[in-house]
Amino acid sequence: MATVRRASTRARSAIFAPIGDEGRAVRVENRLAEAIRSGVLADGERLPSEPELASMLGVATVTAREALVALRAQGLVTTTRGRGGGSFVTRPEQSGPAELGSRLASMSRVELRDRGTIYGVILAGCAELAAERADASDVEGLRALLLDETEPDVGRWRHADSELYLSVAALTQSARMTREVVRLEADFGALLRLPLSEPEFRAATTARHLALVDAIEAHDADQARQCVRDHVSDALETLADLHAAMP
Amino acid sequence: MTVKTADITDCVDTIEDYFHGILAQLETMREQLVELFDRGPVDSAVARARIEPHARRFLDTFPIVGSGYVAARGALSDEPLYLAWWQGDNQDLLAEPDAPATGDPLDYTRHPWFRTPERTGQPYVTGPYVDFVCTDEYVMTSTAPVISRGTMVGVVGADTLVETLEGLLLPALRAAGATLVNDQGRTVVSADPHLATGSLLDLRDHRENVRCRDLPMSVVRR
Repeated sequence: MATVRRASTRARSAIFAPIGDEGRAVRVENRLAEAIRSGVLADGERLPSEPELASMLGVATVTAREALVALRAQGLVTTTRGRGGGSFVTRPEQSGPAELGSRLASMSRVELRDRGTIYGVILAGCAELAAERADASDVEGLRALLLDETEPDVGRWRHADSELYLSVAALTQSARMTREVVRLEADFGALLRLPLSEPEFRAATTARHLALVDAIEAHDADQARQCVRDHVSDALETLADLHAAMP
Repeated sequence: MTVKTADITDCVDTIEDYFHGILAQLETMREQLVELFDRGPVDSAVARARIEPHARRFLDTFPIVGSGYVAARGALSDEPLYLAWWQGDNQDLLAEPDAPATGDPLDYTRHPWFRTPERTGQPYVTGPYVDFVCTDEYVMTSTAPVISRGTMVGVVGADTLVETLEGLLLPALRAAGATLVNDQGRTVVSADPHLATGSLLDLRDHRENVRCRDLPMSVVRR
């Protein structure tokens, strides 16, 4: 059997790079942090003990301990001692300005663009399919989620915005796609909605989301896709400004 | 060349048998709650205790993935919005209506499975649709209004996976070369492999259209 030699790429060399113990704690930390932020691990849930965690993940106990220390420092885990004690998940207040601000500050510009790209491409694709597949009662449901630009409650804006995008995802008629968007919303949606605190951004959002629902009603897939692209691009640019202004 | 080997009414019978079986169970659950609400104020624990054995038995004996009672806003004395709803292999209880992703309270009363029985006072079958409130799956939801002293205090319902319906209905539909559509013209299951579940159909292209009795769906054939 012939062996095919592939061109060496960075991705391939990363796969075959030796896994040093020094990198493992960070990987354990990142994996658990993502599971906590996305809600896969529920608030208040007890984590396995350090030795159990170490054996499940195939790392040394000291590595598991190091990851837990880092998660405690991030405020994602609380540890209590004594009988009934252990490490418990503390899911951060997703919409809390302090948590969002520190998440944004901890990101590089590359990571921000990276996350924004996958969010934008998937949601634009959802809008396109939703325009093909939405019926009259679906459109009625979407319209009920549109807010007037004079609505002053930013919390309501963020909630309605997230529900609108989840509803558009559901109109693809794909449960897997919808679950993927739920994951993206938990991961990046709250950050992308930071600009909604600006009245001008809310006014622009109103206009674009009205155009989106109109396009879906008219079964105009190209227009629906464009509305979401425009909206996510504008949100990302505004977020980039916020990011740049951070200390 | 089209070969029509079976009658379209065989398909209609299969569909009616399934959904009328579901609606008969919902009628029993509805009666339990009407009797409870007619007596006076009800809180979430009392409503849940009354409906739980029925919902669990229903889940044990029918190929459904979720069932229970969903309260109308303000109908319960302690919770504004509440679901006494059990789902999945472990029949887990879903109580608080949380939005996925944000965890904010979710107002389910705008969804068609709630809104339509509220508007008509009649049972309804919603879907196929991706349900991100309860199952996170592609389902059809049967709901019946619970009306006490002239006010709707919620709905009782059951979710069926569209995959389950495909398994149950496809043989009859294939034999007849027919397609099951909902009242919006959306394909539920079709004999035609190119007609994807969830796609909208132009019903003017179909000469035959037989409505299922008391159900918002029809079997159509070109």
